[in-house]
Amino acid sequence: MTENSTPFYQPEDQIPLPPKDADVLTTCCDYCVMACGYKVYRWPTDAPSGGPKKDQNALKRNYPLGPLQGGWVGPNQFTQAVYNGKLYNIAVVADPDADVVNVRGGHSIRGGCIAQKVYNPKRPTQDRLKYPLVRINDILMPVTWDFALDIFAEVSKHVIREHGEHSWAMKYFSYQYFENTYALTKLALKSINTPAIAHHDHPSFVNSVPGWVDIGYDIFGASNEDFALADCLFISGTDPFETKTVLWNSWILKGIHGNKSKVIMVNPRKTAGAAYAEKHGGLHLDVNPGSDTAVHMAIERIILENGWEDSEFIAKWVNNFWETDSGFGQGTRNTPWQWRTTWGKFQVKGFDDWRKWILAQEESKPEVAARIAGIDVQKIYKAAEMMAKPKANGERVKTTICIEKGNYWSNNYLNTASVGTLGVILGCGGRPGQVITRLGGHQRGGVNGGPYPTTKSPYKVPGRRRHRLDLDRWLSSGHVRFAYVVGTTWIQSMPASSALEDTFKRLTKLNPNQVRSFDKQEIIDTLKRRVDSGGTVVANQDIYLRNPIGNQYADIVLPAATWGEEDFTRASGERRVRLYSKFYDPPGNALPDWKIVAKIAQKMGFEGYDWRDSNEVFEESCRFTRGSRKDYNVIRTVAKRKGMKAHDFLRTFGTTGLQAPLMLDGDKIIETKRLHDYNRTDLPETGPEGVSVQGKSIMAFKSHTGKLNLVKSPWSLWADFYEFMQPRGDELWITNGRINEIWESGFDDYERRPYTQQRWPMNFVEIHPDDAAERGIESGDLVAIGSTRVPVQTDFNLGVKGDDMWFSGLMKRGHIELASGQFSAVAMVTPAIKRGVLFTDFLKMDAPANSVTPRVPDPITMNYRFKIASGTVKKVGESPFKHKFDQMTFKRRDIV
Amino acid sequence: MGKQKDGTEAAAGFGCINRRAFLFASGATVGGTVLLTGVPGMGKQAVEARVSRYPRMFVENMSRLVLNEPVRFKYPDKGRNSNSILVKMGEPAGGGIGADRNIVAFNTLCTHMGGEMGKTFQASHAVLGPCPFHQSTFDLTRHGMIVSGHATESLPQVLLEVEGDDIYAVGLIGLIYGRYDNLKG
Repeated sequence: MTENSTPFYQPEDQIPLPPKDADVLTTCCDYCVMACGYKVYRWPTDAPSGGPKKDQNALKRNYPLGPLQGGWVGPNQFTQAVYNGKLYNIAVVADPDADVVNVRGGHSIRGGCIAQKVYNPKRPTQDRLKYPLVRINDILMPVTWDFALDIFAEVSKHVIREHGEHSWAMKYFSYQYFENTYALTKLALKSINTPAIAHHDHPSFVNSVPGWVDIGYDIFGASNEDFALADCLFISGTDPFETKTVLWNSWILKGIHGNKSKVIMVNPRKTAGAAYAEKHGGLHLDVNPGSDTAVHMAIERIILENGWEDSEFIAKWVNNFWETDSGFGQGTRNTPWQWRTTWGKFQVKGFDDWRKWILAQEESKPEVAARIAGIDVQKIYKAAEMMAKPKANGERVKTTICIEKGNYWSNNYLNTASVGTLGVILGCGGRPGQVITRLGGHQRGGVNGGPYPTTKSPYKVPGRRRHRLDLDRWLSSGHVRFAYVVGTTWIQSMPASSALEDTFKRLTKLNPNQVRSFDKQEIIDTLKRRVDSGGTVVANQDIYLRNPIGNQYADIVLPAATWGEEDFTRASGERRVRLYSKFYDPPGNALPDWKIVAKIAQKMGFEGYDWRDSNEVFEESCRFTRGSRKDYNVIRTVAKRKGMKAHDFLRTFGTTGLQAPLMLDGDKIIETKRLHDYNRTDLPETGPEGVSVQGKSIMAFKSHTGKLNLVKSPWSLWADFYEFMQPRGDELWITNGRINEIWESGFDDYERRPYTQQRWPMNFVEIHPDDAAERGIESGDLVAIGSTRVPVQTDFNLGVKGDDMWFSGLMKRGHIELASGQFSAVAMVTPAIKRGVLFTDFLKMDAPANSVTPRVPDPITMNYRFKIASGTVKKVGESPFKHKFDQMTFKRRDIV
Repeated sequence: MGKQKDGTEAAAGFGCINRRAFLFASGATVGGTVLLTGVPGMGKQAVEARVSRYPRMFVENMSRLVLNEPVRFKYPDKGRNSNSILVKMGEPAGGGIGADRNIVAFNTLCTHMGGEMGKTFQASHAVLGPCPFHQSTFDLTRHGMIVSGHATESLPQVLLEVEGDDIYAVGLIGLIYGRYDNLKG
């Protein structure tokens, strides 16, 4: 060990308190789906700071604070920023007075440090994008907004005119505030009407949990309170301790200690939450990646064989044969559900038929499922008992099922269908503590400003079905001539990312038509020649210059304003809509995304983009939410009646906000605690009128009948791909995910927060001690992880026969290419990861785990299988952190 | 971190050897009965700033320390949130003193929500925690860095120096939970 050591991060040991008369604004955290409430305290740097007595500071608290009091201003809660041209002290603190979500000021390590997200020229955020840039002589040079956007608009118009709207693509964040997503989709879907559009996390414009779409469950139907009320929580493919901190801290822990909730965690990795759950009577199902469906079906079999299903619920809320097949009116004929089931592979004739099917499956035998999952079969029996065995007094166990990406991004359709049917037979949905929900990633900030033109997608699959356009495949095939990339890295975020980067390089840098002039018309002409020759022009809009999409491949880079720099609105995972206040000025000439879109649209000649502020965009978006889970239309209605702006009206609800869907009873806004709440009695007696829409999911389920469909989950549809992805020789499973300290691609923390950088200076990989020993790897060693058989689905496919689109069919017909991918990491040897499995960060920019993940979407649903990869791991040498005390720790993260 | 200046250079720079000068000359074992550490690698000015406003307080005799048995004390005052531990661990640590560089001291309030962790030392991991409130853990060999959990600061590390057999607390790195100034308890 090095003799001496200096801490990498050395914070101040005194911080000014906000004075009594500081400005206080409400906002929410910008990060995970919990959307904890925060308060911003702002006072001029030349004004006196506050004192320690509660009547001397704006926190209204006596210092020093006691435990759990909330409202501490530590070094990472303090910064400075310019507002209206004047320098202010800024403290951003989890709202110590919060009544909901993070009651009394709870917070995560990410949100707790969110003051360090603020642009401050003296801190690591100094490199924010400040001016529009255009690539000239391969250097991104500052230009004016008009200069950059004239090029954007002229080349876009040319592409649409000469190559069709399919050639104009938009890859964008689905979540970064209603105002922005509304404006972006209004441009892409309504004005341009391109099918070449995809969210940051999908190849297509698709749903993440299609199994539940078919069954009839909403994916965000729960309220946080349900997690404290359940007797048993089945948590699959995530750990809220790591990823939704306040759900764990404020709600699940409350259940474990108050309600004696038992928590079942399904995850190849024993996270801190899994270890804690086990210690408190719960269970850790340490399954192999991608084996969930078999485990779900085995649990179902045990429940059925013991008669533990919720028969009363099933009789009342499950579609029988007549209801399934015919339904009311149009029935299921033209729904995604029916489209998927015209193969005849999923549909059943009601509960009895489904039961018969489950009991006939080889994979539903507990011993078989345990072998596939690589777990002790007794754990499957134990899980079934915990979830379903009636209590001694005959009462049913209240079980809540919640899933996230480890579940639905390993085997998308079958996992979501099988865990959904498990929910159905347990009576999940609509009752306190007895719900089924996604846990969520980003907050819910998407509103569509136009319909997706499905009929324009050329992706024809067998039967009369059509998939939405696969943008990655479309790009690789050379059909994208203009790519508008907003708030996503695109390349590292998508599977087989190294192969995808090759595509971008070929279409941009390696095209002979490169800009070598500062004359705007010459630039436009050059880029037109590029697109006409089969190349692509890339415009990238973000808050930082991202590598490589912006740094290396974009021709135009547009600086966006973000959280805190504009008034925005968004919903949380429990559908709570809040206003996120502007509290300082964006850097340089950066503009909010909606405003950039408005300028582009106007330059392209589209009408309807003359918004004066973000409130006007919000008000326009309201009616597009009618009937949806985040229906906030009445905010505008009530605000207008009061003569207020909708933003200002929402602001009066502070960090509590309004829980959607919202309905109106006279002037009173009726909120919704949970969806599918068939016992609800607080709806207006007059029923929905005018601006209110009472969506089916408010008091029933989201199927054509309002009842739930049971569906099959045949393992054979997955078996060929799963077999290919199994580790061979000295390969191991490689799975990936997010950890507590880091938000997404790390643009705020990994890259710009010294406190986080000391903890995670480099990418990491967790490896089991036995796997490590076999390879001579110790904690602190730098290792290289890679694969030379990363499958990539290529070309446009016109599927005709039944198995044309299955993995083996694609392979046989030459539509799978094998790419290679590599990334490095610092080894953390720990028994917390299952033997045979590696776990690494999912989106480190300079060590992309996605370089080895398969770019073959689920053929049923067009979701990627990001969590399933395999490859080798080899020691490169020692990392600088192996023998130092100043950065990175190799202690176990599952100490409870 | 960079190699430290030896005692001679430091002494030359400051004219005569006093307690502060020894601190600046940290890292190397200086002859006689005085062994100083603090935070080697920090510049002289930085260390001076860190310690100059803090009291120097006797904590414990080196010879009385028992491996993995924390000694509880209060620093920098007897006020609220000043609970700290001094512990001799089974492995060397950043800022550690003693021949094996394994003696460290930290404030024991979790920097997340102020949970008291004075009784949570995990000898086998050299970790403090998990915090009884929300399970944050801190690595005492890595300057109190978070291992897992929710805290927005490392645990404040108490800077130590040794004179003969006496261990003194002389400063703090980081802000104590719930305070706005370490010296305003």
